[in-house]
Amino acid sequence: MKTSCTHHKECLKVIQRILDKEATSAEEAQFLANKDQCLPCQEGYNLEQSLKNAIKTKCSVSCPSDLFTRIEAKLFLVLILISILIPLFC
Amino acid sequence: MDILVENSKISPTVAHATFKREFFPHMDAMYNFALKLTNDVDEARDLVQDTCMKAFRFIHSFEPGTYAKAWLFRILKNNFINDYRKKSRGPSKVEFEWVEQSITGDEDSEPAFQADLQAETVNEMLGDEITAAIQALPVDFRMIIILCDLEEFSYEEMARILNIPIGTVRSRLHRARTLLKEALTTYARSKGYV
Repeated sequence: MKTSCTHHKECLKVIQRILDKEATSAEEAQFLANKDQCLPCQEGYNLEQSLKNAIKTKCSVSCPSDLFTRIEAKLFLVLILISILIPLFC
Repeated sequence: MDILVENSKISPTVAHATFKREFFPHMDAMYNFALKLTNDVDEARDLVQDTCMKAFRFIHSFEPGTYAKAWLFRILKNNFINDYRKKSRGPSKVEFEWVEQSITGDEDSEPAFQADLQAETVNEMLGDEITAAIQALPVDFRMIIILCDLEEFSYEEMARILNIPIGTVRSRLHRARTLLKEALTTYARSKGYV
């Protein structure tokens, strides 16, 4: 197995496109065929995958319920205002 | 009335129903994005609220059946750039330099990421640690990482939301990830993880 990759920078870009589901099937097939023979590419793939998963699963927060309620109330108020104003202008 | 629902071809009741059906499911995502952009809970709340009112006002330009989340995110991003970013601070010099390189596609100056950060180290990190590293990035890089990795927009959707060419999406995302990995490596070293 290769322990250094001469085109690792390009490989990283392909890895990211694969994980983002933006790579072509040819790019993906070519990378997967060579991955097992290249340690830096394997480690790079694992790192990019872990980072993407960690952002997705560990970095999200929920919208505070009172903000949700406040926006609903504000929209309701706008509807009331419209229903009052429409007869005045028509 | 034009102020309330601009140039409306749909009744306010229909507009309200459309809003609830199409936009309310994306409130968590909007709040997340706003919080990561502003780094401030109160500003994030105001930004989401302003975005919702703006979306309601211009709801006539939304085509039902199209991707509501992308439409909302575009309004939120524009709102942030036009109003909130001015309030906090202008973009840093680093930000300008990085973005300029992304736009001109000058990637030769960027070294390949060679840090000793391992997947296992990232797996063991807490959400707060990763969030702090993301929030320390210049805003344009923060934005693209959130859109791609947290919200899972396609490159094409991100290009539309950010109003940049798809090639810039690719290069900016790659640079953002390089910066993030460097920041996490520095953090991991300081904590003795690596």
